[in-house]
Amino acid sequence: MDDFTLGLLTNVGLFSFLALSAYLLLLAGEMSFGQQAFFGVGAYAGGILTTLYGVPLPLAALAAMGLGALAAFLVGLPTLRLKGLYFAMATLAAAEIARLLFELLHFQREIEGELAGPDGTQGFRGIRWIFEQGIEAQEFLLLTYALLALVLAALLLVERSRLGVTLRSVGEDPELAAALGVNVNRFKLGVAASAGALAALGGVLFAHHNTFIEPRNFDIMLGVHSLAYALIGGLGTALGPLLGVALDIGVLEGSRIFGGARMIVFGGLVAVLLVLRPRGLLDEALVHCITSRALQRR
Amino acid sequence: MLLDLLQNTIDGAAAGASYALLAVGFTLIFGVLRRVNLSYGPAVMIGCYAATWLHLNFQSGLIVLALAAVAGTVLAGAYVERLCFAPHRSGSAIAAMVASFALWMQFEELATLVLPRHVYAFPLLHEGAPVEFLGLSLRPDALAVLGVAAILCALLQGLLHRTRFGLAVRATIENPHAASLAGIDPGRIFVLIFALASAIGGIAGFLIVATHGQVTPMLGMWATLKGLLAMMLGGLGSLRGAIVGALVLGQIEAHSQWFLGPQWRDLVAYLLLFALLAANPSWMTRWTISRSAS
Amino acid sequence: MRVVVLVLALLSAAPVLAQGARAELACRFTGTDFVYDCLIRLTRAGQPLGGAQVVVGADMPSMPMAHNMAPVKATPGRQSGEYEARLDLEMTGEWAIKLRLSGPVRDQLVLHYEFDEQGARPAKRKARR
Repeated sequence: MDDFTLGLLTNVGLFSFLALSAYLLLLAGEMSFGQQAFFGVGAYAGGILTTLYGVPLPLAALAAMGLGALAAFLVGLPTLRLKGLYFAMATLAAAEIARLLFELLHFQREIEGELAGPDGTQGFRGIRWIFEQGIEAQEFLLLTYALLALVLAALLLVERSRLGVTLRSVGEDPELAAALGVNVNRFKLGVAASAGALAALGGVLFAHHNTFIEPRNFDIMLGVHSLAYALIGGLGTALGPLLGVALDIGVLEGSRIFGGARMIVFGGLVAVLLVLRPRGLLDEALVHCITSRALQRR
Repeated sequence: MLLDLLQNTIDGAAAGASYALLAVGFTLIFGVLRRVNLSYGPAVMIGCYAATWLHLNFQSGLIVLALAAVAGTVLAGAYVERLCFAPHRSGSAIAAMVASFALWMQFEELATLVLPRHVYAFPLLHEGAPVEFLGLSLRPDALAVLGVAAILCALLQGLLHRTRFGLAVRATIENPHAASLAGIDPGRIFVLIFALASAIGGIAGFLIVATHGQVTPMLGMWATLKGLLAMMLGGLGSLRGAIVGALVLGQIEAHSQWFLGPQWRDLVAYLLLFALLAANPSWMTRWTISRSAS
Repeated sequence: MRVVVLVLALLSAAPVLAQGARAELACRFTGTDFVYDCLIRLTRAGQPLGGAQVVVGADMPSMPMAHNMAPVKATPGRQSGEYEARLDLEMTGEWAIKLRLSGPVRDQLVLHYEFDEQGARPAKRKARR
């Protein structure tokens, strides 16, 4: 595999975590404009731990996920009772606050004779853990997809369980869910925290793949992209968001047949697609149709 | 100290006036369609790029550039309406919003394909030094923006309250179904409101680039964020609220930039929005466009 | 299985003392929109770093995801530690140039340069965008 394909596949994997994070909240009936904040929290926390404190990446990733979940919990606490656009704007405000705080974050130490660590708008250079460990690009790709497969398996399992039914019912009719004995607020907080952890995991991997992060990486563009990925791919199954990411980064950027007009093609495609399938390619009806057919065959 | 305070207030009012025009356009679309148009700012950016293209190729005068900005924005707005909002009129609000985001990507790419430099100079409304008055420095172009914004808001208020068209718009907002029974075509109202909002956005965009003296593709995101922020700060879907929110936003930015430093300018505005939303948005939801119209 | 082994290896791996590589960039505008001929100088501990495989990519940090360039392989230049690459950028402005090194040293460096019709120079970051 050449460098270009490797980088492309890794990016598809990395942004899938973020798309899945937006997807989880969409299932619970909430549209977040702010998942990029937890991606950023994960990236900064993981980068600081491995680069400044020599913490091994797996431990740093766990810590970053915890921090991402905590941050998402704290943002969700006062905002999850808001509806529609109010919630979207509250999460957008929270994410921009996080990005602007990253711009104010100066925390540098001397490592091997060079200053390392976040330096405000200058960004955070030299997150070189995987290079120092001699981990090859292919191995990192494998690691990313192994983690993604783990997350996906967990999500698919949840969707087939009672928990998944509760999740969709909370999203579609919170009053009904509450009447059936679900504590909607607590449930949504749990979903938000899990989505935060998921985004943070993607962030840690992103920081170590890129070796350099800066506050601008985590602006509104990234958040709306992840939302769009989830919606294009479809809200019927956890495979939907992956399809969305693969379509944009994989097919369009990968093929490069459209050159500089890539985003014009992609944008038009998405707009037309949403007219034909407003809940995405793999929407609930299609997924239901496929699964019931598969069951009949048995 | 007092002078600084006064100077900040004046600067903030000038910025707030341009935000007000953006927020009014946003609010018109949201009030009537109940949909967020993320492509609003990028459409304004396309209008400004059209004007920049004329400026570079024909050295047109400011009036022509302003007309080009308005025409470009209205055209881009019509494209957005046809592709993102007309098909989703009775359908999913989030699908419409994501579709409008997709067109944002198109607009950004289109702008960089036609004019591929990252920054272009735009002719200034007023060349030369600001006027000194009682120790304050007054920029004539900023005052002009303030004046144009005030006139436009007054005209809009008149249009919505004194004309048959305004009546039809208000009826559509109250209840589209009842309005259609009364012989009003809601689809036509949606299209006209979209065009009106885009025209206002085009004027706002022209005034903004002609006071800043430059155009970049980032203008799209900037205008969408400022418009959304001002609209939310002033409640949602009320024209008067949007204007108040925009003026407040201008003041917050000017004062926090002066007293706390440039990094704090946006931070304070977002903190305030978050606090307002987290505290209790009931006062925000109480205001609707029809209330302000009554 | 391979993944489990990899994760265990990650947990136990001791940090390898490595002196970081440094890079400098000099670019010339070719006259066509917006193609640049760039000379990359790599050093490590003050010495020219020759014999490395260098892959150059570019991203526009102010417009993430929308604008980037397909990575190109740099060819060795006249002197040791020098590498040449032709970059085909979509527009002027600030670009993050990503150098992926392999061979004697595996590393990735990210440099920020401002590109215009004159060439490229290190980007001065303002406090605000």
